[in-house]
Amino acid sequence: MPQRLSRRKVLQVTGAFAATAFAAPTRAAPPEPAQVTPQLIEAARREGKVVWYTSVDLPVAEKIAKSFEAKFPGIATRVERTGAERVFQRIGQEYASRIYAVDVVNSSDAAHFIVWKRDGLLAPYMPEDVARFYPSEHKDPDGMFASFRVWLSVIAYNTKLVKAEDAPRSFADLLDPKWAGKIVKGHPGYSGTIMTATYEMARDLGWDYFEKLAKQRVMQVQSSADPPKKLGLGERAVMADGNEYNIFIMKEQGQPVEVVYPTEGAPLIVGPNGIFKNAPNPNAARLFQSYCFGVEAQQFIIDTGGLRSMHPSTTEKPGRKPFRDIKTMRDDPAGVEKTAEDIKARYAQIFRV
Amino acid sequence: MTFAPMEASRPAVRFDLSWPILIASAFVLCALILAPLGWLAYFSLVDRAGHFTLDNFRQLVSTPAFVEPLITTVILSVSASLICCVVSAPLAWLVARTDMPLRGAVRALMTASFVTPPFLGAIAWELLAAPNSGLINQAYRALTGAGSDDYLLNIYTLTGLIFVTSCYTAPYVFVLVANALERIPADLEDASSILGGRRWTTARRVTIPLALPAVLAGALVAFLQSMTLFGAPAILALPAGFHTMTTKIWSLFQYPPKPELAAAASLPLLVLTVLLLRGQHFILGRRGYAVVGGRQGDARIIGLGAWKWAALGFSLLILLNPVFLPYGALLNAAFSRVPSQLIGLGNLTLHNFEFVFFELSATKLAFRNTLILCTLAATIGTVIALVVSYLTSRQAIAFHRALGFLATAPVAVPGIVLGVGLFLTYTRPPFVLYGTLWILLIAFVTIAMPAAYQQLQSAFRSVSPDLEEASRILGATRIKTLARVTAPLLRTSVIATWCFIFVGVIRELSAAIMLFTSETKVISVLIFDLNESGDLGAIAVLGLIMLAITIAVVALVNRIPGFGASLRLRNT
Amino acid sequence: MASVELRGLTRRYGTQAVVDNVSLTIPHGTVVCLLGPSGCGKTTTLRLIAGFVEPSSGEILVAGRVVSSPAKTMPPEHRKMSMIFQSYALWPHMTVGENVAYGLTLRKLERALVAKKVAAILETTRLTPLVDRYPGELSGGQQQRVALARALVVEPETLLLDEPLSNLDANLREEMRFEIRRLHDEYRYTTVYVTHDQAEAMTTADQIAVMNAGRVEQLGSPHDIYGAPASEFVARFLGASNIIKGLSMGAGRVSVAGVALRCAGASLAQSGECAIAIRQHDIGISAAQPMGVENVLPATVVRNVFLGAGRDYMVELADGTQLRIVTAPAENFPQGAAVWLQMPSERCRALPR
Repeated sequence: MPQRLSRRKVLQVTGAFAATAFAAPTRAAPPEPAQVTPQLIEAARREGKVVWYTSVDLPVAEKIAKSFEAKFPGIATRVERTGAERVFQRIGQEYASRIYAVDVVNSSDAAHFIVWKRDGLLAPYMPEDVARFYPSEHKDPDGMFASFRVWLSVIAYNTKLVKAEDAPRSFADLLDPKWAGKIVKGHPGYSGTIMTATYEMARDLGWDYFEKLAKQRVMQVQSSADPPKKLGLGERAVMADGNEYNIFIMKEQGQPVEVVYPTEGAPLIVGPNGIFKNAPNPNAARLFQSYCFGVEAQQFIIDTGGLRSMHPSTTEKPGRKPFRDIKTMRDDPAGVEKTAEDIKARYAQIFRV
Repeated sequence: MTFAPMEASRPAVRFDLSWPILIASAFVLCALILAPLGWLAYFSLVDRAGHFTLDNFRQLVSTPAFVEPLITTVILSVSASLICCVVSAPLAWLVARTDMPLRGAVRALMTASFVTPPFLGAIAWELLAAPNSGLINQAYRALTGAGSDDYLLNIYTLTGLIFVTSCYTAPYVFVLVANALERIPADLEDASSILGGRRWTTARRVTIPLALPAVLAGALVAFLQSMTLFGAPAILALPAGFHTMTTKIWSLFQYPPKPELAAAASLPLLVLTVLLLRGQHFILGRRGYAVVGGRQGDARIIGLGAWKWAALGFSLLILLNPVFLPYGALLNAAFSRVPSQLIGLGNLTLHNFEFVFFELSATKLAFRNTLILCTLAATIGTVIALVVSYLTSRQAIAFHRALGFLATAPVAVPGIVLGVGLFLTYTRPPFVLYGTLWILLIAFVTIAMPAAYQQLQSAFRSVSPDLEEASRILGATRIKTLARVTAPLLRTSVIATWCFIFVGVIRELSAAIMLFTSETKVISVLIFDLNESGDLGAIAVLGLIMLAITIAVVALVNRIPGFGASLRLRNT
Repeated sequence: MASVELRGLTRRYGTQAVVDNVSLTIPHGTVVCLLGPSGCGKTTTLRLIAGFVEPSSGEILVAGRVVSSPAKTMPPEHRKMSMIFQSYALWPHMTVGENVAYGLTLRKLERALVAKKVAAILETTRLTPLVDRYPGELSGGQQQRVALARALVVEPETLLLDEPLSNLDANLREEMRFEIRRLHDEYRYTTVYVTHDQAEAMTTADQIAVMNAGRVEQLGSPHDIYGAPASEFVARFLGASNIIKGLSMGAGRVSVAGVALRCAGASLAQSGECAIAIRQHDIGISAAQPMGVENVLPATVVRNVFLGAGRDYMVELADGTQLRIVTAPAENFPQGAAVWLQMPSERCRALPR
């Protein structure tokens, strides 16, 4: 039986999202729901390509791009994948020099959309699916962006190196001396996931948690996609943060990794998609945006990407813990946006990198 | 034969393009180097609002977050250059002056290790010596039965970084010293022998002092290379939990970017380099040229007897580190499902190739950009270096000394600093080049200039000015002479320079990482991005292809008929 | 007409004048030798004429037109000159034929014409069989002839030679001296020839300019220079002369070792120190005092060396002055013998100081 996402649950966990990220002053009526018309497809085809800046793990991103290309032949999809913080920095750098290369952006740091919207860089576009099916707290009322993907930052371990009964159950467990030198984690200076997670953990657990964690001789990597891969290599036994979806993918490939949802709650990460106003391929961008939020693509990112979807018509994949059964930490893009610089500075101070 | 007047075939007045071309080259060089450094200096001295301030420097010296990387960098550079000298100088001696077997192969492999970008080497060594998943550590545990937490090597340490840096800096020292040793004419040593110097006395009193400038120069190059290296530290230092100056400067460009601090942080590197270059000049004085000057007589080969096998063993042991082990690990990772597992029937896969060629949408773009940039930078860089070394070695214009200094100056500018400078320069009018391949081209040409200039400059010294003057008095302009007489005479050096720049550009990451955009991505950046998310299999495939391309291009260029084809040269 | 005229030509490096106020006229079709020791400025003068060096002051005219002046220097390639270098400067990457044809191809002559001219000059210089050799495969004499052919084939108005024979062995050198003169007589270009070898200068030159410390000490025909050196320097440089210090007694008489010698040459001061020059083989030597002649001095044999074709004596005058004398081999006086010297007055040349 397909497990429908409980709207109530989503509301609960992402309440602040609605209260902040989507609560920017409404300038006008939200844009009309846009359908994928033959004219749009034709115009997109004339443009011939679409450039998607994203922070989703590269193989997943490329698969999404390929599925789009398969559905709409003739539109080459170029994936520019790097950590969300670097995506943000890159777009800033490019726009400062009036280089408009990006069509559609996807960031794992939802706070970035607050900035881009505030700076007037985004183009309003409301795909029909978003208008009809997405919960209001997962779409911008002005149609600037919507939650393309949702996932968690989790604890995980290598099942060859750690027995299930010895595995940590909570963030607090990671402070046990037995994990010293065995933990890997991502960096909020590069990864939006880790930035969001660090914000939520610092808020809920306090900075002193990180100070203690830093004493565990943590192996520091950049992307939130890298800690799962370091587990897969067997380089480290446990990851303190990182993408849930990578663990799903790896586990389903038969790699010896297992996810742990910490008892304190797993940091919730939301990765919206938005179109830039100065997109060089505006029609292809709209088509791509519509495609991304369609049930087909959303089911695709669940099945092959290990991600969670806000589209109510999607079904969760058996064998993965249903979203509604997981205790999560509340996300708060506005909070992240306000404190990002402080988080990076404190983090660098504590972990010395 | 009649004494026919030449007027008919040679008009008295005609426009000579030589000066415009020469001066334009000089001007381009000035612009290339002075503009970014100028902006760098300016930015280091102003605050956000554009007012003069020393605050950036104050922050630099008072914050441990800046002082510690500086100390780390110094430790890294000193150790790496020492290791390079201690290892490379004996190896160079074995190759250049003894009858060790497989000398040619050892030399070729040592040179080949230069082709390996340090960041690729660093990733390969991650595969080998990461404390838990590293292949060497796995083998160590399997062989000794050590516990699952024990390891032999840990690459994620300062020592590990020093090791990797040395691996890929050593070729510089090796080539310098081997060439110097080969150029010491046998008669200098014969003169010592005839006066009663025994073999080791001769070595001690003549050979070593004559080779010393080269060793010292090598040590300096190694120091500078290690100091300015970005890729290897960025890959190894972050997991190890420390910064070097280059990674620190890079991190200053995290949002919100702090270019003024980055500019200020670049200055210690600049100052250090300039001091070192002055120091070298002071120590060597004019002796440094003596070795370059001597050309007569073949080098004397010393018979090692039975020791030659030990020597070969030593050489192969050294080569294990920069060549055999890393490429073995990369090959393994390219074909293995899990990079940290040895290939077996169970995990052999072509998935990584499939991913790189058919799924990764940036592959084609990055290869295209890289090849365009390599070819252009190598060609333009060689031409400018040729013209500039001509101007300086023939003292053809006033300020030739200044020009020579300018061409050498980028040595003092770490790639990442240059990247910052170029970014500051070319993101504002009149030249908005950021986002185009041009800015990368400028960066690569600038970075390659010192080495290209030095190489061609010393080549010029070996070509008598008479050969050029003979051409000019017969009616050829400067440029025509350069094209028809000098360049062909220097062709070996010209080709070597071209290849050197080509390879250098492929290796380049530090400036590229500051300057690329999604449309102007190059392979080194692509690899760096892949490393960020830990896609080691794809990196291995890209790295191996890159190596194959490099080797193919170098081999091809050396075979262009009439260009690289060997001609009989005057033997005096 | 392609006469070459130097007017007050000066070249300074820093404060040192390497060429110091040289004025010289080289009429069309003549050979002028710049003769002097190394460092006398002769090569710099040649390079000034060629246009490789710019004058600090003064000017150079070719055929009445100023080609070099401090204000403007015509580049060498426009001077219609050729030059032969001490090193020959043959391009090692070109065959003999290519080396020789180079100057012609620059003039964009027709191929057939180039081939014809090259063949002709190779014939003249007896190089035809070597046309496809590379310079590295030639002997010194052959290389020299290639250099000559390369310089002559373009039919220059002016030919410059910089120590062209100094790298050849003695026999070849003698042969080539005559060869150069022969070719010059055949084509009659204006020639400037730099050498430090007086025999070379004597053989080839119409006029010799002896240079010292950047200045022309004496300009004249080989006969004049040899027979009547105008200065002590010229006398010494041309060699085989004794320079004897004495006191002028006026009226062409000089007191040497207490004997009054009558001298020819420059008019002497009434009194004070002066010098006279007399060639080694112009001094007569005898055991008995010659009677009925003037300029007779007593001396003692210090050294007697048998040279086959002659004898080389060192004798000492009463005041300790040592003189060298070359005599026929038959005139044999043992070491320590007292002898009489006779110096014909017309051979004693008083030198201005």
